[in-house]
Amino acid sequence: MEKLQDSACEYLSGVCPVWCPGCGYYGILSSLIEAFAELGVPSHELALVSGIGCASRLPYFVKAYGFHGIHGRALPIAQGVKLANPKLTVVVVGGDGDGLAIGGGHLPHAARNNVDFTYLLFNNAIYGMTKGQFSPTTMLSAVTKTSPFGLPGETVNPAALAIVYGASFVARGFSVKKEHLKNLILEGIRHRGFSFIEILASCASFNTTDMNVARIIKAMASVPSDHDPAKPLEALRLATHEEKIYLGVLHRAERPTLEDRCSEIQRAARARGGGAYADLVAQFA
Amino acid sequence: MHPDLTLRIAGESGEGVITIGETLCKIAAREGLHLVTFRTFPAEIKGGPCMMQLRLSEKALSCHGERLDLLVCLNQQALDDNLEDLGEDGALVCEAECELPDEGAPRTVYRIPFERIAVREIGSRISKNIVVLGVLSHLLGLPKPAVEKLLSEKFARKNRAVLEHNLEALRRGLDYAREHCSGRKTIRLPPGGKQNKLLLSGNEAVALGAVAAGVKCFFGYPITPASEIMEWLALHLPRLGGKVLQTEDEIAAIGCLAGASWAGARSMTATSGPGLSLMSETIGLLTMAEIPAVIVDSQRGGPSTGMPTKTEQSDLNLALYGAHGDSPRVVVAPTSVADCFRMTGLAFDLAEKYQLPVIVLIDQALSARLETVEPGLVERKPAALRLLAEPAGGAAYARYRLGPAVSPAAVPGTEGGEHMVTGMEHDELGNFACDEEAHTAMSVKRHRKLEAINDDALVRDLSSHFGDPDADIGVVTWGSSAGPAEEAIAAANRMGIPVRGFVPRILSPLPHRDLAKFLGAVKRVIVPELNFTGQFAALLRATYGIRTTSLTKVKGVPLSPGEIVEKIVEAAEEIAARSKPTHGKAAGQRV
Ligand SMILES: Cc1ncc(C[n+]2csc(CCOP(=O)(O)OP(=O)(O)O)c2C)c(N)n1
Ligand code: SF4
Repeated sequence: MEKLQDSACEYLSGVCPVWCPGCGYYGILSSLIEAFAELGVPSHELALVSGIGCASRLPYFVKAYGFHGIHGRALPIAQGVKLANPKLTVVVVGGDGDGLAIGGGHLPHAARNNVDFTYLLFNNAIYGMTKGQFSPTTMLSAVTKTSPFGLPGETVNPAALAIVYGASFVARGFSVKKEHLKNLILEGIRHRGFSFIEILASCASFNTTDMNVARIIKAMASVPSDHDPAKPLEALRLATHEEKIYLGVLHRAERPTLEDRCSEIQRAARARGGGAYADLVAQFA
Repeated sequence: MHPDLTLRIAGESGEGVITIGETLCKIAAREGLHLVTFRTFPAEIKGGPCMMQLRLSEKALSCHGERLDLLVCLNQQALDDNLEDLGEDGALVCEAECELPDEGAPRTVYRIPFERIAVREIGSRISKNIVVLGVLSHLLGLPKPAVEKLLSEKFARKNRAVLEHNLEALRRGLDYAREHCSGRKTIRLPPGGKQNKLLLSGNEAVALGAVAAGVKCFFGYPITPASEIMEWLALHLPRLGGKVLQTEDEIAAIGCLAGASWAGARSMTATSGPGLSLMSETIGLLTMAEIPAVIVDSQRGGPSTGMPTKTEQSDLNLALYGAHGDSPRVVVAPTSVADCFRMTGLAFDLAEKYQLPVIVLIDQALSARLETVEPGLVERKPAALRLLAEPAGGAAYARYRLGPAVSPAAVPGTEGGEHMVTGMEHDELGNFACDEEAHTAMSVKRHRKLEAINDDALVRDLSSHFGDPDADIGVVTWGSSAGPAEEAIAAANRMGIPVRGFVPRILSPLPHRDLAKFLGAVKRVIVPELNFTGQFAALLRATYGIRTTSLTKVKGVPLSPGEIVEKIVEAAEEIAARSKPTHGKAAGQRV
């Protein structure tokens, strides 16, 4: 990460990343801290929340408040953080297994609640940390330690899922295209509401076949300049394209966030009156 | 006049049994009486038998009683199911059509054509329950203005005609009873106390207790019998600036709780056994990451979906140990509705002060039971706060500093306090460390909290002592079984059997000093509880190396004082038999 700006380096915690040499996640880390630097958010107002896996190790390397939780549960934890202190900039990171297998049930709800945070899903199409079992994004034909004869089920498309679940911001980036990725992350954080960014990455140790960099580079394309991200069906068409892997902002919509709704609920409740503790007790008299 | 009065209303769910019962409760509470109720619910949504039992007294009560003075049956099924619980001198009020058995019919019977009065005179079958209320108003000598006032409040939101309709039904019931039930034995309410009382359920007391303790965020997923806690808070907490979120499941609920609490908000969830088992991985995380959390578990019959509407005390092991690894946590067990309020507040204080998960263990019977509470008992303020860090610039802030049991926490947003919390074993900074020194030192740090709690003034005087302080027979129990035990001990002592009781309200850490002293001073320890294997008895045996006599029950209903008295009598007889000179086979056989 020799080319990082000085201001970005201030977001490094000093803890040395434990990732394998050649792991795609290094690129994501540098894009992320560059985005923080550009945003200028003070590190004590930053909360990074993760689950378990190689991807989820990221918060250790960043100077911020960090929560390294349990496998698959980063989204609820981050939702709690944001509700308790809406002033924080909250970023969630995790792998494809963490977010789509064990934690797959939380994604639709974070999307539907439109919690104002950014979810970076590192898609390396494999379980890295547990050393090479297939994940929900592994290609059907892939041979892995737990699919020696091919996969039992179809491959999941994270960006498409997020669009269908109603995420109000969906983008796709690639760990190698750092500047592009930094901009996506910036846009995601600036978006009011739930922003989902699928980040394609390689696993140097366990996935050198179906998700390798060469294949992505061959198939990748920029989201067309005339694409209207407000139209979810258009976004879905790009996200699920059979030959091309579209990178960029696929979908964007403005709608109330969970915090907005909570304030709304508090207003409605207060309008009913009787907000003192004594009033609560009085109803039992 | 009875010193206390126990009555039961039984019918088909949908017939208004609960409305009748709750109305009577409200009137009694306003008259200043003490009361405890017990209700059973069918597992079905519609239909099925249900009943509500009320025990009223001038004096404080510890359980819902067992001998019925008055049984009200709205149909034949209710009569068949409940008649055997009516005491010999008790009175029966039943639908006129009901058939009574040839044998064992009570001496006093009032047959009332509830259905006919409702349909013919009021013109609506649904007002039957108000007719019943009218009849009971007469039999119990309820002040008519008080009953009318209550109905007016109840139907205030509906239109005037509905209220008139109901007041008419009440009058018809009263008139009928006046005409047909006079001259016979009338049951009277016990005289009221001085001060009006509040009427709350256990679930409401938990929710109110949480508010009094300053809860800011509640996360939950609906499950019987805990849902009402979330429902009540959803209605009231936003007014006080708090947030309530129904999540996609219990794993999400406790995950949100972990995040919100780490970020500084007093946070809570409430669930029942199946939900608690889903939460157990995160309970381990909360212990490891040292994050305060209050988790209420209202136990129901298990395992699995079991008997969702019936009570049991069988999640004790799950509450004490449910999680992987050594995961110390606090478990508190309220014994009454007022206790639900108090212990929920205490749970927040302990969770925040010691930065760990605290489980409040109640059960369906306690959740659902209505009880009167003195107004003064629902006033409280947080008694302990989280120890917050004031990070100095320069040196990195060490979240998990070793030394005292509790290290100061920096809440996200605090300048200079950036740190990692983690479910992985870590060093003082929160960085991953899986060497033996780190794991040993941090295990000590986490467990030392329980030792510190044992010495904390917050948990002093949490245990109850009952009965004869010199007795050789001791009863030790927990949670909602304490009420019946207290009453059984008093009854046994009246029978001339010396016996004493001990009820700890904190089960992890156990109140060692008091408990060990009690156990050391008695020769026989009876442990009544609502589970199959005697989970609490096993805990006592394992902790103190003593012998115990278990009294277990898994019928989905609370223990009755009589069942505990029986066990006490048995123990007394055995002790007596053994102290006699031994002849033949009698001695020393049963231990
Ligand atoms: C409840 C639970 N089940 C299983 C595991 C083991 N586990 C740790 S990481 C992981 C998968 C990680 O894969 P992914 O989320 O794709 O992240 P990556 O390591 O590839 O970044 C698994 C299965 C665990 N920690 N917890
Ligand atoms: S195993 Fe794969 S994902 Fe994990 S650090 Fe190594 S290269 Fe990266």
